[in-house]
Amino acid sequence: MKFLPLIWAGLWRKRGRTILNFLQVTVAFALFAVLQGVKTGAENAVAAARGDLLVVHDAQGFHPLPLGLLAAIKAVPGVQRAIPVEIFGATYQKPTQPLAVVAVTPEAGWERAFTFTVSPQQLAAFARTRTAALMSVEIAKRYGWHVGDHVPLLTSTPQMNGSTTWTFDIVGTYTDTDLGGNRIQILVSYPYVDEARFGGKGTTHHFNVAVADARQAVAVAERIDRRFANSAHETQTESLREMAQAQLQSIGDLNFLIRAIVSAVLVALLFATATSMIQSVRERLPEIAVLKTVGFTDWVVFLLILGEGLVVFVSAAAAGILLASAAFPFAAEFVRGISMPASMIVIGVASAALAGLLSAAIPALLSARLRVAAGLAGR
Amino acid sequence: MRFLRQFLQLLLMNLAGFRQRLGPVLTILIGVTCAVGALVSMLAMGSGVRRQALGDARPDRVVFTSLEGQGSQGSIPREEAAAVRSLPGIRRGLQGQPIVVSQVILPLQARRRGTGKRTFYLLLGVSPGLTELVPELHLTDGRMFRPGLHELIASNACVRQFSDFGLGDKRDIHGNDWTVVGHFDSGQSQNCVVHTDDETLMAVFGRNTYSQVTALLHSPADFAALRAALQADPALHLEVRLEAEVIAAEFKEFTGLLNFISYFIGTIMALGAILGAVNSLYSIVDSRRRESATLRAIGFGPAPISAAVLCESILFALPGAVLGGILAWLFFDGMSTSPLGFTFQLSVTPRLAEIGIAWSLAIGLLGGLLPALRAARMPVSAALREV
Repeated sequence: MKFLPLIWAGLWRKRGRTILNFLQVTVAFALFAVLQGVKTGAENAVAAARGDLLVVHDAQGFHPLPLGLLAAIKAVPGVQRAIPVEIFGATYQKPTQPLAVVAVTPEAGWERAFTFTVSPQQLAAFARTRTAALMSVEIAKRYGWHVGDHVPLLTSTPQMNGSTTWTFDIVGTYTDTDLGGNRIQILVSYPYVDEARFGGKGTTHHFNVAVADARQAVAVAERIDRRFANSAHETQTESLREMAQAQLQSIGDLNFLIRAIVSAVLVALLFATATSMIQSVRERLPEIAVLKTVGFTDWVVFLLILGEGLVVFVSAAAAGILLASAAFPFAAEFVRGISMPASMIVIGVASAALAGLLSAAIPALLSARLRVAAGLAGR
Repeated sequence: MRFLRQFLQLLLMNLAGFRQRLGPVLTILIGVTCAVGALVSMLAMGSGVRRQALGDARPDRVVFTSLEGQGSQGSIPREEAAAVRSLPGIRRGLQGQPIVVSQVILPLQARRRGTGKRTFYLLLGVSPGLTELVPELHLTDGRMFRPGLHELIASNACVRQFSDFGLGDKRDIHGNDWTVVGHFDSGQSQNCVVHTDDETLMAVFGRNTYSQVTALLHSPADFAALRAALQADPALHLEVRLEAEVIAAEFKEFTGLLNFISYFIGTIMALGAILGAVNSLYSIVDSRRRESATLRAIGFGPAPISAAVLCESILFALPGAVLGGILAWLFFDGMSTSPLGFTFQLSVTPRLAEIGIAWSLAIGLLGGLLPALRAARMPVSAALREV
C-alpha cells in the first residue's frame, strides 16, 4: 500500500506522456470491446433463437409448397400448431422504402407458432378484418404509420383485378422477440392474400410449426421430413435456432480478420508503450538511484516500475471497455444484440494487465540493474 | 529562400541522428504499419467483391428487369420477353437472330464439400443463344446441355466448392433427376452458376414468367436509343440497365457495409497510431532541447524548426504505409473468403495503396503538429541554462 504514492508520483512525473499512453491503451481496448461486442451479439442472437419453433420449407430452398401439406403436417405426432406463411416483397410510396409482407392464417392461437407478441384486442381485430395488418414497432417508426391507417403497397404480386397495388388496414402493432428476425415487415391474413392474388393460389412459402414439447423439437422435425420423403414435395424442417446458426456460420470468416486486427493493435500498442516507458525510466535514472540509496532494494524498484505499467494499462483498458459499452445502446440499432458479457470484460482487463507487465518489463529490469553510483552521476 | 535552406539543413541533421532515437522512430513506423495494414486488408474485401462482380461486365450487354422485382424476384411474362427481341440496337448472331436470352433464375440448395453444410447456388434456365450472349463462357469438360433432357452444365467453382457436381453426377431437383453433362469457366467469376434450358426448368417448377432478359448491343452507343424505344412502348413494363449498373446495384449494400466496417476500424487504429506518434515525437523533440536552443541562438528561425519536425514525422510514417501495404498484399491478396455466403478473393489494388499512403500522411501530419509547435516555442534561454 505504501508504494502506491510512489507509483502515482512516477506516473505524473511527465504528465503529457502518461496521458498519451493512457489514451492509446484506451483506444485499443475500445476497439477490442466493439469487435468483441459484435461477435457476442451475433452469438447471443443464435442462443436466444427459439429451438422449439420449426420452419418447414421445400428441401431445395424456398420454393412454393402446396397448401395441401398442412393437414399432413398437423397429423404428425408432436405437432401442436401449423400455420402457412407466405412472404412477398413490397415498397411503400418510393422504391427506396421496401418492406416484407408476411401472410399468416389468423386462426385462434396462431401467434404461438411465431415469435411475435400482440395484445389480445389487436389480435381479435386482426382475425376479424380480411384486409387487416399488424405492423412492427420499427416499421411504424420508420414510415410514420398509425393504427387505423390504410397503406397502399406496390408489389410484384398481381391481384385478380390485375392491380399489383395491395392496400391493407393497420389494426395494431407487434413486437418480435427473435433477435435475428426482419423488423421492417407487416403481418397480413393468408386467406385474404391467397383469394385475392392472381397466380400461385393454394401455395405457401413455408409452414411455421409449434411443437407440443420443446424437448421433442428435433424428433418432430425428423418425423415431418420423413413423412414427405420421396414425395413430389420433399421438405426440410429446421428450428429457428438452426437457421440462425447457419447464418452465423456464413459470417464465420470475419472472425479470422477480427483476430488478426486485434493482434496487430496489441503488437503496435506494446511496442509504443514499451519504448515510451524506457524513455521515461532513462530520464528518471538519478531519482531511481536516490530511491536505492535510501534503502529500496532492486526487487522493490523492479515492482514499482511494473506497477506503473499495470496501473496505466488496467485503468485505460477499463476506460476503453466502458466507453465502448456506453456506445452499445446506440449501436444496437445497427448491430442487434450487441453486448459485452462479464467474462469478456474479465478477459479484456486480464490481457491488459499482461500487456502492461510485458511493456514495463524491460524498463523495470533496467532500473533494477541500475548501479547507484552510475545513476546518481546521471549516466 | 533562407527558410528553405535552414529547413533542409535541419531535416538532414535530424534524420542523421535517428539511430540514437530508434525506439520512438520504430514506434511511429510500427503504429502506422499496423493501422495501414489493417485498413488496406479490410478494404481489400470490398475491392475484391467489386472486381470479381464487375470484372466480367461488358459495356454492350444490357439487362431487362421487371419494375417491381429484380434478380430471382423478377417476373417478366413470355410475351414481353419475346417483344424485347424486336427492339432496336440489338446485335444479331450468326444465324441472323437477335442475341437476346431470357432467363429463369432459381436459388437452389447445395452442400459444401467436406463439411456437408447447406448453402445456395443459382440455377439459370436460359433460352437458346447463351454462348453468343456470353462469349467468355467456355466449356472445360464435357458438352453443352441439350434442351428437354434435364441436363445441366455447372461452373468449375461449383465443382470446387460443392459436392455432387462432377461430370455425370445426378442431382435431384424438384423430384426429377438432372444430369451434370458439362463444366465451364466464365470470365473471372468464382461463384457457382448452373445453366439449363428455360422450358424444361419452367415446366418442372410450374412457372410462366422469366426472371430477367439479357441482350447484347451492336455497340454501347446504342443504349440510349434502346432505352427510348423501350419507354415508348406501352406494352413493355420493363426497365433496362447496363450490366455493370445492375451488378453494382446488387452489391451496393454489401460493399457499403464492408467499407463502413473497414473505415470504422481503420479510423480507430489510426487514432491509436496518431497518439503513439505524438508521444514519440514529443520525446524526440524533448531530447533535442539543447540542440534546438543552440540552433535558435545562432540564428535559426522557429518556422524552419517546426517545419523540420513535421516533415520528420511524415517521413517516419510513410515507410509504415509501404510496409503495411506490402504486408496486407502478402497475407491477404488472392485469399479466398466467403463472409455472408458468397465467395470472393481479396484484392489489394493500387487504389488501396493510395488510400494507405494518404492515411499514413494524415497520421504523420496530425501526430507531428503539436510536437512541431512545442519545438518552435521552446524558450531558448531556459533550454540553454540546463546545459
